[in-house]
Amino acid sequence: MAHQAHAYHMVDPSPWPLTGAVAALLLTSGLAIWFHFHSTILLTLGLVLLLLTMYQWWRDIVREGTFQGHHTPPVQKGLRFGMILFITSEVFFFLGFFWAFYHSSLAPTPELGGCWPPTGITTLDPFEVPLLNTAVLLASGVTVTWAHHSIMEGERKQAIHSLTLTILLGFYFTFLQAMEYYEAPFTIADGVYGATFFVATGFHGLHVIIGSTFLAVCLLRQIQYHFTSEHHFGFEAAAWYWHFVDVVWLFLYISIYWWGS
Amino acid sequence: MSLSTAALATRRVLAAASHSSHEGGARTWKILTFVLALPGVGVCMANAYMKMQAHSHHQEEFVPYPHLRIRTKKFPWGDGNHSLFHNPHTNALPDGYESSHH
Repeated sequence: MAHQAHAYHMVDPSPWPLTGAVAALLLTSGLAIWFHFHSTILLTLGLVLLLLTMYQWWRDIVREGTFQGHHTPPVQKGLRFGMILFITSEVFFFLGFFWAFYHSSLAPTPELGGCWPPTGITTLDPFEVPLLNTAVLLASGVTVTWAHHSIMEGERKQAIHSLTLTILLGFYFTFLQAMEYYEAPFTIADGVYGATFFVATGFHGLHVIIGSTFLAVCLLRQIQYHFTSEHHFGFEAAAWYWHFVDVVWLFLYISIYWWGS
Repeated sequence: MSLSTAALATRRVLAAASHSSHEGGARTWKILTFVLALPGVGVCMANAYMKMQAHSHHQEEFVPYPHLRIRTKKFPWGDGNHSLFHNPHTNALPDGYESSHH
């Protein structure tokens, strides 16, 4: 039987990086083809390939870590660094959209009426649904912390309850935001106000959906006894991502909804 | 120095509270969930609902501002003139509302 004389994980050859790269190519070219030639075949293929890649790649990681014991402490440390670096890159991603918003709103051009909000734009009342959305995400931060402590203390049922509550709050936020999108008196095509509003909040909403999905996977894994009180990095990564999503919302709320109204 | 039973008990409780991240941390966050977080959501739900009821249903007057309702390129769906979350009551098209005020 072969043994390794180190604690690191030499990963087996895998097809998923290639399928992921092909999916990225199909999605980007597919988007361009859709915009210019109104055909969605490449886009659909790319989406399917992306979903299959994510499912199978992450399933492999769960198998390697939870069932095959490859996630030793040094390996976990590397995974932690990886998640931190990824979230940092996402921070810079959103920083760009905040830059765009402040660029346009701090010095509104004459075309907009020289004012912010621009002439003809009816903004949303920040103290109606947006405030509720803030409370929902802050509450979900409390429930996900309850979930973490429950896992650390071996409280299985409490962990399942608190994690479920967190995911439900995430769904509630998405539902409320979708309603707001439909009821809004302005659209993405309403000049730079509409563009900055919907692109920034839209990408945030996408991240809420991604974060909720990540937490839902953790819920399924918790139910299937994958996590121990000492080793549950998948959950920690999901919780970090969720807190990041919450913080981005707080910046969006203060900047776009409140100051920008 | 010998302490009374009550003093010993108090010291134990205070020590547990300060170490709540290790012992009973889940309980603390469970309490915060049901005493602070969820009631906070409830209050905001009630507030949003009442404010929505107090709204007038008046449709914003249409002014064909050139800096709004940009149509440099058609949307890649439908007739190319409606945004993804188009609401006929609140969103006018470049030449006016589709639906008249109900």
